[in-house]
Amino acid sequence: MSEGSKVSTGGGKRRYAMVVDTRRCIGCMACQVACKAEYDTPLGVNRTWVPYKVVGKYPNVKKQFLPRLCNHCEDPPCVRNCPVEATFRVEDGGFVLQRYERCIGCRSCMAACPYNARFMLPSHRTYTPITNVVDKCTFCFHRVTQNLVPACVQTCIGRSRVFGDLNDPNSEVSYLVAKNATQVLRPEEGTKPHVFYIGADRNATEFGRDAYQKREVMEPERSAFKNHFKI
Amino acid sequence: MEMPKVTRRTFLKVSAGSGAAAAAAPRLLTAMENDLGGKDFGPVSGAERKAIPVNCHVCNIQDGAIAYVENDRVVKLEGNPEHVSTRGRLCAKGNSGMWYSYDPDRILYPLKRVGARGEGKWKRITWDEALAELTEKLDAALKEDPNTIMLKYGRNRTGGSIDRFMKTLGSATVVNHTSVCESSKKIGMEPTWGPDIETPDFANAKYVLNFGSNVLEASYFHNPLSQRVTEGRVDNQMKIVTFDVRLSNTAGFSDEWIPVFPATDGAVALAIGHVILREDLQDSDFINNWTNVTVAELKEHYKQYTPEWAAKISGVPVATIERIAREFATTKPATLFTYRGPAKHLYGSYNEKACMMLPIMTGNVEKKGGYCLPRGMGWPQPMPEPGKPAHDSVLAHPPEYPLAAHKVSHLVPFWIAEGRQKINVYFTYQDNPVYTNPGSMAVWGKLFKDEKLIPYLVSMSPFMGEETALADLILPDCPYLERWEPESMPNSLWPWLGIRQPVHKSLGESRENRVLLRDIIHNLDPDGKRGMKQFWDFKDGEDYMRHHFDNVPGLKEAGGLDFLKKHGVWPIYGKLDPKTGKVSDKTGREIKADYGLYLKELSAADMAGATVDGKGIISKNGKAIGVRREGKNCVGFPTGNRLINVRVDQWADYGFNPMPTFKRIPWHEAMKEDELILSTFKLNVHKQSRTAAVKWLAEIAHSNPAWMNPETAAKLGVKTGDLVRVESAVGHLVTKAYVTEGIHPKVVSIPTGFGHWEYGRLATLKLKDKKGEYSHGADDPDLNNVWWDDKGVHPNNIIPVVADPIGGSQGWYDTVVKVTKAGPNDKYGDSEGNWEKHVAAYKETMRYAYTGDLHRKMHPEMAAWAGPDSVKHKAGGGH
Repeated sequence: MSEGSKVSTGGGKRRYAMVVDTRRCIGCMACQVACKAEYDTPLGVNRTWVPYKVVGKYPNVKKQFLPRLCNHCEDPPCVRNCPVEATFRVEDGGFVLQRYERCIGCRSCMAACPYNARFMLPSHRTYTPITNVVDKCTFCFHRVTQNLVPACVQTCIGRSRVFGDLNDPNSEVSYLVAKNATQVLRPEEGTKPHVFYIGADRNATEFGRDAYQKREVMEPERSAFKNHFKI
Repeated sequence: MEMPKVTRRTFLKVSAGSGAAAAAAPRLLTAMENDLGGKDFGPVSGAERKAIPVNCHVCNIQDGAIAYVENDRVVKLEGNPEHVSTRGRLCAKGNSGMWYSYDPDRILYPLKRVGARGEGKWKRITWDEALAELTEKLDAALKEDPNTIMLKYGRNRTGGSIDRFMKTLGSATVVNHTSVCESSKKIGMEPTWGPDIETPDFANAKYVLNFGSNVLEASYFHNPLSQRVTEGRVDNQMKIVTFDVRLSNTAGFSDEWIPVFPATDGAVALAIGHVILREDLQDSDFINNWTNVTVAELKEHYKQYTPEWAAKISGVPVATIERIAREFATTKPATLFTYRGPAKHLYGSYNEKACMMLPIMTGNVEKKGGYCLPRGMGWPQPMPEPGKPAHDSVLAHPPEYPLAAHKVSHLVPFWIAEGRQKINVYFTYQDNPVYTNPGSMAVWGKLFKDEKLIPYLVSMSPFMGEETALADLILPDCPYLERWEPESMPNSLWPWLGIRQPVHKSLGESRENRVLLRDIIHNLDPDGKRGMKQFWDFKDGEDYMRHHFDNVPGLKEAGGLDFLKKHGVWPIYGKLDPKTGKVSDKTGREIKADYGLYLKELSAADMAGATVDGKGIISKNGKAIGVRREGKNCVGFPTGNRLINVRVDQWADYGFNPMPTFKRIPWHEAMKEDELILSTFKLNVHKQSRTAAVKWLAEIAHSNPAWMNPETAAKLGVKTGDLVRVESAVGHLVTKAYVTEGIHPKVVSIPTGFGHWEYGRLATLKLKDKKGEYSHGADDPDLNNVWWDDKGVHPNNIIPVVADPIGGSQGWYDTVVKVTKAGPNDKYGDSEGNWEKHVAAYKETMRYAYTGDLHRKMHPEMAAWAGPDSVKHKAGGGH
């Protein structure tokens, strides 16, 4: 196993993890949209998203995708920082989840998360009545407990996303983590993330959020976003 | 619904709001891997959702899908795990298909125009009123000439009902959209080996040459083939080399991206062939046995296409061409894929042919990991069937383009304007040429605003697209999730039949197309005296499907339509293995495809009464049915002589080069130093015109700045975000620049799918200015969250028509433009095309037709051709 991947074992508990094999990611965005559908996620926020970066100089150029989601950390700073215990870790499985009815919307967890994986739900949604609280990726807890893979894994065209129990030595995630050099985002934070990347470029991932397009490309979008939500 | 209330004790139950789900689950799973779909549960309710198998139809890849319904609303779509091609996965577009149904601006009632055309003033009328008015117009048109009733469709997956409708009316004026799509690819391939497309066996290939296809974002067959590309690339260590003018996601994923000068792929392919033949790396047995040329003939013919020649034209270095040629020829199995890159040019058919020659000459055809024939399935039509119309239509089969069997639809407005055919009633179905075609508003908008040329325009559409906005009568059709339709697509190496079925009652008063067409016919012929009603004798969409599917051998025994209603697809080849994501048989092993279809042996019954000639061609009743090779009676290829026709003799009849060849675009040769070529493309999350109103896709991509290389941008003094003016011979536009390393310095590239001026409030970003007016559909509160303020600029006004004289294809990537930094009077979003200049472009392109004056000049090698008057048998065309 590689960096940052000391996983708790024993006790017959499951430890779910996702492997994102960037060699297989074609940047199709199916995961992002499947997730939107699964949770009726409003516009402006995402539980999973796929930033990309164009690297190299003409004609040796590549487009590099880095699918992102909550890392379901072994030591999640969001849990530590929530003043009302709205966010918590499920021992069996390792899911980091959110209890909407306890959330006071203080955004402490958002500030604490080194991965920008949490967001405030806006006031308007299509049909789900949960609004104005913090939300995040749940590793599709409601699907996994029904023996289904998360929605993003289910639809992943390139089979770039693989989900399973890291405590089961026969699982595909165990195999992939054992047999490949893997990376996690921002290991220096000591969060022990459970989303393992294969083939992620360290130059792009060192600071977690840097796999994005250049600033001048992003800026008009950012300012439109800030304008609309009055940030 | 209320927020779940919880105490600390029931902590797990409510996590992620999935109280019931957790409660219902006895314990966390014990299985080794979780299932890859087939079931779905609400994250808040925890309830299992109703699953209805359908066939996706956001675009035309035709993935098998499952619609999950909660509270009578489709909340989730996923790939059908029983579908052999789709294997449980959908792309971003497929995942958001329910927004076709729930578009708040969907048209749910018949509408009649009350203002001037295109003014946007509508009156809601009843179906009875709509049909009565239409019947009157059709009656009058039928009295004059049935061919004055025209129907143009864009995406027609009705499985025959559109053709049945027009044949019932007795009109041959049926025009499609294929010439703006991939027609010259089809025409490059069909005379050569039969079918119009290939199925590359990416999963098992070791080497792939990709000429101008962006299969990882769009093109046939995005999702199923992308799955196999990643498998081949990562699990099978295949190498993939992409030739493209732009760094598409496919090019970016490839081991090598080799930028080419636009329209020169064909020259590179010929030069690769030259090296293969020069170095004797070809598969001589395959060429000699299965094509209509010999190795010696081919070697002689390819001598002219040197890498030095191609390098000069394409910019691809000689050493690269030679290296790729050797790699391709010596790595087995190898395959090749093309899409619009080579085909959408003045001589696109030649380019496609040059590309497909490479797997042919290396014997990779129908091999495991090679270049395979498409596998499809058909279905019977309800009986009785209407006969062929009495007279052909010049718009459907223009005599200047006898080889363009998929028609030349983008030249139709000019022909109508010239009075070549009178139109009384114009039907449009899933088409939007005012947006999608070259000339766009300047050409098609002009045509439809002219009430003399188009006296009555009827749109069968659920959406107020750019064309529908110019209609006189709108009949609210249903989006794909509310329709019955038969389906089959060769999107993997396993053939299948599938259906679309309504997931719920059609919304408002919308009617699915085949029912709508039936109602028109029944209104026109209420007592059956006109002989029309007999062809439309079915109760509803489901009844129509029974006529298609209840008697298909094999499916019939499995349960016919009832089987398809339950599973969505037939046959089911195996089970989706959660460990591999592949389809496994009962033994747990991955299912295997059939290869070598052309080597299948004819039965004794087939051979009874057949004769074999000196070349081994087996004929029966005057028709070639197979080829005898090494003592075996093989079925061969689905062509006239059952061989691969490297030499297409029919082309020579019209003065075209029957052998693999390349023609440079004459106006590219004459380009000035400061001119660029404009190309267009599709992004991963959009179709050409129908997805701008799909919120999840629009959020990901909503604007389309013009890509340009830093070297180009530096010359213009432009950086990302700056306004640029792009000017062609027919118009100009003003858009933003996106400076990127991922594009050829002589190319400026603008994606399509953006810059709508109709198509509802989301596509046009008029959510705040207008309330929904045509629809009683529910507003979507989430649209309050639309945060982007840039809808992009559509490029088609400034793209002139170009028609491939062979395949009829639009030359989308042939436009020469001048790009400058925007001036003080230029405004973002300016877009203007000039009708007279478009007409001039149309006249110019007709000069390349076999009847035109430039045809001979372009074909000095065909000097012996006796000219257009020598053509005795004019090909009928029409597939």
